[in-house]
Amino acid sequence: MSDQTFFKGLMDESLICAYCGYCRTVCPTYVEVGWESCSPRGRIQLIRLLLAGTPLSAGQMTRLYQCTLCGHCAQVCSTRIDLRQFWLEARAQTVSRELSPQGLATARDNVARTGNVYGYQNDERAGWVEYMDDAPADLYQRDQAEVVYFVGCSSSFSPRAQRIAESFVRVLDAAQVSFTILGEGEVCCGFPLLAAGMHDQAQTLIEHNLERVRMTGARTVVFTCPACRMMWLEEYARHLPGIRLLHATELLAELMAARPLPLKDVNRVVTYHDPCDLARNGGVYDAPRQVLAAIPGLQFVEVHERRERGLCCGGGGDLEMVDPALAQRVAQRTASKLAATGAQVIATACPQCVRTLARGTEQAVPGVEVKDLVELLAEALDI
Amino acid sequence: MPATFPDIPVNRITDDPIERKLYSRDLAPVPAILVKPFFRTLPDAVIRPGNAEQVAEVVRQAARQRVPVTPRAAASTSYYNTVPVRGGWVLDVNDLRGGIELDAARQTVRTLPATTWFELDDALQQKGFAVKSYPSSAVSATIGGWVSMQGHGLGSLKYGGVGEQLVSLQVALPDGELRTVTRESDPPLDWFVAAEGTLGVITGVELTVRPRPAAESHHLFAFDDLNALGQSVAWLSRAEPRPFTIFFADSGYLRLLARGGFHIPLDLPPSHFPISEKGLLLASFQGETSEVNRGKDVLTRLPGQELPSDLALEEWNLRLYHLRTKRAGPSLLAAELWLPLDKLGHYLQAVKALAGRSHLLIGTYGLAVAPDMALVMSLYPTDERHTVKYLAAIGFTKWLHDLSARCGGRPYGVGLWNSAYLPRLFSPAQLDELKKRKARLDPTGIMNPGKLYRASFPLWPVTFSLGAAVLGAGHVMLGRERP
Repeated sequence: MSDQTFFKGLMDESLICAYCGYCRTVCPTYVEVGWESCSPRGRIQLIRLLLAGTPLSAGQMTRLYQCTLCGHCAQVCSTRIDLRQFWLEARAQTVSRELSPQGLATARDNVARTGNVYGYQNDERAGWVEYMDDAPADLYQRDQAEVVYFVGCSSSFSPRAQRIAESFVRVLDAAQVSFTILGEGEVCCGFPLLAAGMHDQAQTLIEHNLERVRMTGARTVVFTCPACRMMWLEEYARHLPGIRLLHATELLAELMAARPLPLKDVNRVVTYHDPCDLARNGGVYDAPRQVLAAIPGLQFVEVHERRERGLCCGGGGDLEMVDPALAQRVAQRTASKLAATGAQVIATACPQCVRTLARGTEQAVPGVEVKDLVELLAEALDI
Repeated sequence: MPATFPDIPVNRITDDPIERKLYSRDLAPVPAILVKPFFRTLPDAVIRPGNAEQVAEVVRQAARQRVPVTPRAAASTSYYNTVPVRGGWVLDVNDLRGGIELDAARQTVRTLPATTWFELDDALQQKGFAVKSYPSSAVSATIGGWVSMQGHGLGSLKYGGVGEQLVSLQVALPDGELRTVTRESDPPLDWFVAAEGTLGVITGVELTVRPRPAAESHHLFAFDDLNALGQSVAWLSRAEPRPFTIFFADSGYLRLLARGGFHIPLDLPPSHFPISEKGLLLASFQGETSEVNRGKDVLTRLPGQELPSDLALEEWNLRLYHLRTKRAGPSLLAAELWLPLDKLGHYLQAVKALAGRSHLLIGTYGLAVAPDMALVMSLYPTDERHTVKYLAAIGFTKWLHDLSARCGGRPYGVGLWNSAYLPRLFSPAQLDELKKRKARLDPTGIMNPGKLYRASFPLWPVTFSLGAAVLGAGHVMLGRERP
């Protein structure tokens, strides 16, 4: 299928929607909920009703947020609607009519107050470095560097995801990369607000982060979070001419191709879960697989649903804030499919996927480990 | 709560007004003025059974209470086949999905009815097998849904319609009994093919499959003459080895794609009128390598100009995406037809003449689905936001059906809207036979009432013909393309 998609506005696209139901069959939340209103085509009709002035309640509009923004619907859409754009604008319409779920208002207030969705003090953003036994004296916060590692809220504050940040800085050190983190100078990239339909509130965050990156003189910004990378590519890149925005796996594949790292055997059966925002929405399929292929001893098994057809972990699109139980059901289903490959380890390349799939495996397939790819690489480097 | 069932959890039943509204439409939106005065399309409740027993329970209750039941899965048709017209309960069977069990030795597979054709083929391909045929809406169309409809599409040219591939069906009959039907049973499974859910609800399907083809090859030809295109499709459909499928399209179809913003494989003149004679033919062979190679030899006798192989592969990869044409709309209406292949060129020329005369954009594409029969779709853009214009465009569909009837064609599928064409679809004896089956299996008339067997007002032949003629004339005036 062609990658070409279109977006002429909410009303036009809601009319162009053929109601064919291609989107229905791949939607991870529709499969769980089952009602037509929770199918992408049903959500499009809800928006059409909303725009036509039908009185709809916040409860009814919750369907719009029972969506992980995984992009699978856009990938199969028979009329080639850019559904990611559609969902973002539809959510903005919902916000403007004060029909968005309460949990998102809390996230917005947290970001406004602290600079992160969790509501933690932002000066604790690099707290994970302080707990590293071997952290350098500068705590990886340097005035100038070639590369900025934009850590993201999840890897800064979530205990499980902090291990990803730790592993990545160790790997960067092992690869002798000149890099810095922004510490408390970093604030939320703004994606959770954009996904909530609160684009305007994201602007101050964008301006703040841009300024901090410019100050370092870096030519590359690298992300372990695919959603941060997407956000930077879509909303920041035009303000940063000549600066490369890479996912960690892209940088690592590049570094390892230029100079192999001294990797030890990892004798485990590993499958790879394509994060939606890195793969289907972000176009990065090969770099993670190249990194995995370089790890000796590792037995790699592909899941049938991969690359463009990769399954969603349930953790995207702010779903966790709106309907955590639904996010969990999606995670369990996906974890089960991944585990059915016979893998001992589910590798992925996204802190949110790691968090949700780790909970999914606990419930559905206990004993199967979930690791970010940089954690596996750190293990292979024995660091 | 509108209904309760001992074995169905309450969270599988809804009477929420917005939810019910979403179940009162299918692919083709129809203005309220044509619907509300005559039909009750809003169901009283929607029920989502989780298994065959729950389906049977709902049907049993419905028969007892005389409540209409409309089975629905993907709802990817456009004649209200899955939309209630007398209220009642919509039975959303989408949770009866998966359950794929391959019998490799017998080359058969069992599946639940709401599995899509894409899913079934994908599962079979992993085990070295493939479905024999599938609809051009395979991503969403379900196995049970296609059995309930006419069941012809890609692969039908080589392997026949889905009815020919069936081994058995499990059906929830209107009395609530779950019965497995075969060709020898009473009633036989043939009764349920194309019955549009009016005799029961399909809850399980067993059908024959084929080994995954060892080779496939796709070839795209450009034609400068629609008669030659039609004759070539007809000739190739009877050739040996038989192609897996033959797709064809005229320049109007390509114009719709171009207007929608898509790349097209042919250069067309900048002006729409006079209409180009150009057309495309995509021939696809699948099977053993030797068979596919012999197919390539056959194609050397085609009169068209063969286009580069990457364009052929691109057309093949887009075989489930003809609805891209809807971007030329925003609305798109269509006449979907059975057409004798020996009249295909004649029909394409007649559509071209009608479009040229009236300065309308009409695109036609189709598939050869039997050695003597094509499944044809003639599409035209419109805009449902302009009610008068849209009503006129709806009426114009009959003009295309009339045109096809003059070429020996007839509508594909019945549902509600095509019941106006019943005399073209069935002989009196055939219709009597269908009504006898209905009376025997569904004496209370609860299963998908208002479909298939008789036309309701305003779809009576006289009122419909008159109304459609007037409205269609309106489209000729209002739908005119600007020079």
